[in-house]
Amino acid sequence: MVGVKQVSSKNHSWTKRRDAKAERLKNVEGISSGKVIPTDRIIEALESLIVPGDRVSLEGNNQKQASFLSAALNKVSPSRIHDLHMIMSSISRPEHLDIFEKGIAKKVDFAYAGPQSLRIAQMLEDGKVTMGEIHTYLELYSRLFVDLIPSVALVAADKADKEGNLYTGPNTEETPTLVEATAFRDGIVIAQVNELVDELPRVDIPGSWIDFVTVADKPYELEPLFTRDPRHITDLQVLMAMMIIRGIYEKHEVQSLNHGIGYNTAAIELLLPTYGEQLGLRGKICKHWASNPHPTLIPAIESGWVESIHCFGGEVGMEEYVRARPDVFFTGKDGSMRSNRTLSQLAGQYAVDLFVGSTLQMDQDGNSSTVTSGRLAGFGGAPNMGHDPRGRRHSTPAWLNMMTSDDPLARGKKLVVQVVETFQTGNTPVIVESLDAIDVGKNAELATTPVMIYGDDVTHLVTEEGIAYLYKASSMEERREAVAAVAGVTQVGLKHDPKRTDELRRSGIIALPEDLGIRRTDANRSLLAAKSVEELVEWSEGLYNPPAKFRSW
Amino acid sequence: MSVAFLFPGQGSQQVNMLKGLPDHRLVDKTIDEASEALNESAILLDSETNLQSTVAVQICLLIAGVSSARVLAANGAKPDLVAGHSVGAFGAAVIAGVLDFQDAVSIVKQRGEWMEQAYPEGYGMGVVLGLPEQKLGKILEEHLSQGEEVYYANLNSKDQITISGTIRGIKKVLEKAKGAGARKAELLNVSVPSHCPLLDTVSEKLAFALKNIQFRSPEVPFAGNRTARALRDPEAIKEDLAHSVSHSVKWHQATSLFYELGARLFVELPPGRVLTDLSCHAFPSARSVSVDDSGFHTAQVLINRVKQPN
Repeated sequence: MVGVKQVSSKNHSWTKRRDAKAERLKNVEGISSGKVIPTDRIIEALESLIVPGDRVSLEGNNQKQASFLSAALNKVSPSRIHDLHMIMSSISRPEHLDIFEKGIAKKVDFAYAGPQSLRIAQMLEDGKVTMGEIHTYLELYSRLFVDLIPSVALVAADKADKEGNLYTGPNTEETPTLVEATAFRDGIVIAQVNELVDELPRVDIPGSWIDFVTVADKPYELEPLFTRDPRHITDLQVLMAMMIIRGIYEKHEVQSLNHGIGYNTAAIELLLPTYGEQLGLRGKICKHWASNPHPTLIPAIESGWVESIHCFGGEVGMEEYVRARPDVFFTGKDGSMRSNRTLSQLAGQYAVDLFVGSTLQMDQDGNSSTVTSGRLAGFGGAPNMGHDPRGRRHSTPAWLNMMTSDDPLARGKKLVVQVVETFQTGNTPVIVESLDAIDVGKNAELATTPVMIYGDDVTHLVTEEGIAYLYKASSMEERREAVAAVAGVTQVGLKHDPKRTDELRRSGIIALPEDLGIRRTDANRSLLAAKSVEELVEWSEGLYNPPAKFRSW
Repeated sequence: MSVAFLFPGQGSQQVNMLKGLPDHRLVDKTIDEASEALNESAILLDSETNLQSTVAVQICLLIAGVSSARVLAANGAKPDLVAGHSVGAFGAAVIAGVLDFQDAVSIVKQRGEWMEQAYPEGYGMGVVLGLPEQKLGKILEEHLSQGEEVYYANLNSKDQITISGTIRGIKKVLEKAKGAGARKAELLNVSVPSHCPLLDTVSEKLAFALKNIQFRSPEVPFAGNRTARALRDPEAIKEDLAHSVSHSVKWHQATSLFYELGARLFVELPPGRVLTDLSCHAFPSARSVSVDDSGFHTAQVLINRVKQPN
């Protein structure tokens, strides 16, 4: 070949990464005993294993946190360790940003920063943090295998043995993904564990992937993030849940789905055994789930609605319930649940019929965002599930039901449902003319506006006014009219011509509760299968053990 | 988990707010120090007549906050973070160890005098409830472009914003705000248009006066009023204390930042419970207590519980 110089590989090393790792491991020979780093020498160990400029993957998502290791990283000497490039699913603890203030870290790639969203916006503005990108979970995990391969991974597990085998129990989450990306490219993997034992209940991550384990001073942080107290569900949310069951799940025969974290979706879960049962839908809808083990799913599970649930992560208090229902949940030989955030996100992206979620703002084209001014919350996993994966090939009744043409090459679509009340508390409209996210994106100098769910992916919009079947709209104009028709008394809604509403109803582009056979007066909390956390415990036959803050009895 | 001390600003003053402080040697000591710096008896400042003047109000607020925090500290109840609303920021700075109390008393006295002299009449403040910041911002911009002097003053919470300027301008904006859907929009009984560019000259004078006062690094982070940042640099704190009087107070953001920094107990120093109400509403998952309402003992127990769990 002309112009291509054949380089001899004789003098070229192909093991630079491996050699560099061996060098670093030598530095801790006097500190660790085998794979075990003593608890009180972790800071010293980090200072010996990490070098300035390293790409460090720190485990921490909206649930499980490697809190002992993040606190230790915050205490390393900034003169020895600086300018790290942090890769974190979630920036949620104060020390996650303290390390930037101290100069230990400089650049960040992340997916979610909800609990630190004001502070990270300020630090970006002040030049204390250099932004990589804000990702969705799956994109962040994927890039760990492409151009964000970590030099060091700091992860958390429940138990380890001396060989470094890890037991993560119900809270496996993204640990295997972070470890795999690091371990197989000669990075260094350090795991904090709650205890060191001789025999593990099961091995979630093999010891040959792990370089070091260290016993944390206290168990890793775990947030009960997906627990929704049914007491707070309103009649309006019950109404919207009824509309969704009738006008979307039944209509399109939705069999597999993902539910987010809101009270709206909790209401749907609690209506399946009551309203759903009255409609005779058991066995026809909502059989397969990619979601967390929501306590509000207990009544539906107990009533025989649910065939399977694969989980992103665990949920505090649900351990024993899940253990007792292995026909429904994924469990290991030891009986406890196995979660996997990467695989569950993938399932939620590709394999389910429907995603339903809520948002803080939606514009008249259906674009939505949870970003509000001055805050940079990021995306988490919602956009992975809240879009139509265009590479999908397999069909299901719901997916096929979204076809709107007779074209021989026509294909189906994932159902992406947004459910919102037109106003938040404090007179703040949810449906707006323009998203705050546009200004936030500009101020933070992001390459693109941080949109959570793009309007062209949204197939249905549900408000207290009714359902807009956006996938049926034949033009952008008609789509806007459909959004406006259910936008209530927001500015967007007020511009709508009420005469058009009847035409849109006739053509099936919008449906009001009465069009679905739902009387507004029937929609009240008495329909909920459980009205309190206490009743959820009853449904679970005492197996669900809610965290103290949800106990009111 | 950490504890944030919040020092209230004007509007929280109460008649006899100094005489009502606990019978404690540190309270007496603080009042004596103030009297010495003022060259008059500080304890007399909290009478109804004296509190007609913003100078007395500001000094009393400073004394009440600092002496109360000193009493708590003597029982081991210290803050991890401090914030003060407007003049409250001086008390916060004293408790963070940034400046001496007597220096703070002298400078606050001057601050009050300069503010009082700035606009003898025709100016004031108003409050708007239940209108999003951006909507009110548009209304303010409109009026400003029409030559009315009216500005944002305090961003207290997502739906509680005060404005400053000419009475005429404020009235017009309040009217518009009501029309745009505000739950409440009314004139406040305040004669100084605080926290807006109308007080630029006061800031300049303060900056000049503060030049000669020694500032030390804070022992705990201090919330800047103007930038809503957690300040750790004494010069930045000095600048904030000088310039906050002519800039809007970003209270909601500053306390939100504290929440993100781990504050789960917000303790409002006397007098009153204005800031407690704001944090109760803004951070339902944190605890907010007013020392005035709950008493020193309760506050101290709660603080120590956060500091030493179990």
